[in-house]
Amino acid sequence: MLFIKLDIQRFAHKKGQSSTDNGRDSRGRRLGAKLSDGQVCSAGSIIYRQRGTKIYPGTNVGMGKDHTLFSKIDGVVKYERLGRDKKKVSVYEA
Amino acid sequence: MIKVIYTKEKIIISGHANYESYGNDIVCASVSSIVYTTINAILNFNAKAIKYIDNNDTLEINILNQDKTTKTLITNMLDLLNDLEKQYPENIKLSKGE
Repeated sequence: MLFIKLDIQRFAHKKGQSSTDNGRDSRGRRLGAKLSDGQVCSAGSIIYRQRGTKIYPGTNVGMGKDHTLFSKIDGVVKYERLGRDKKKVSVYEA
Repeated sequence: MIKVIYTKEKIIISGHANYESYGNDIVCASVSSIVYTTINAILNFNAKAIKYIDNNDTLEINILNQDKTTKTLITNMLDLLNDLEKQYPENIKLSKGE
């Protein structure tokens, strides 16, 4: 091992050695419909999980502080239009 | 950034220049050429004057014999690396060890 072999990129970043700050992600929040149109539900059951009001609460439906929609009575779930471009979900007695 | 820590008996060179991608890094090429030329030159004069350890992360040069030639070549190497640091302060840094 007398002489050192010349490698003029000895102190360069080797390929594939680069580090990134990315590579992290949060877990999926399982948002969306929990009960579909025409499904029977009991009072208090969650109908729709959402961020903001993609869907608005309709008849006999309440909205939690995280905009979760839930049924106030036992009944059947009904997705309806709200105005020109919005949707709402209601629960009507069976 | 390449770090060069030197004392009378030992020089440790570690890190990456990060000036350009692998194969195009001129700062790295300069440091490598300066250091390798010095190591081989000293070994040509006196094979027992230094001992180097190259373990991919760091290159360590242990100065075993403080003869005139060895000291001159080591000083010359550090002077050149100093010049390089002035031109590329983001990519190489020399510091005196304890």
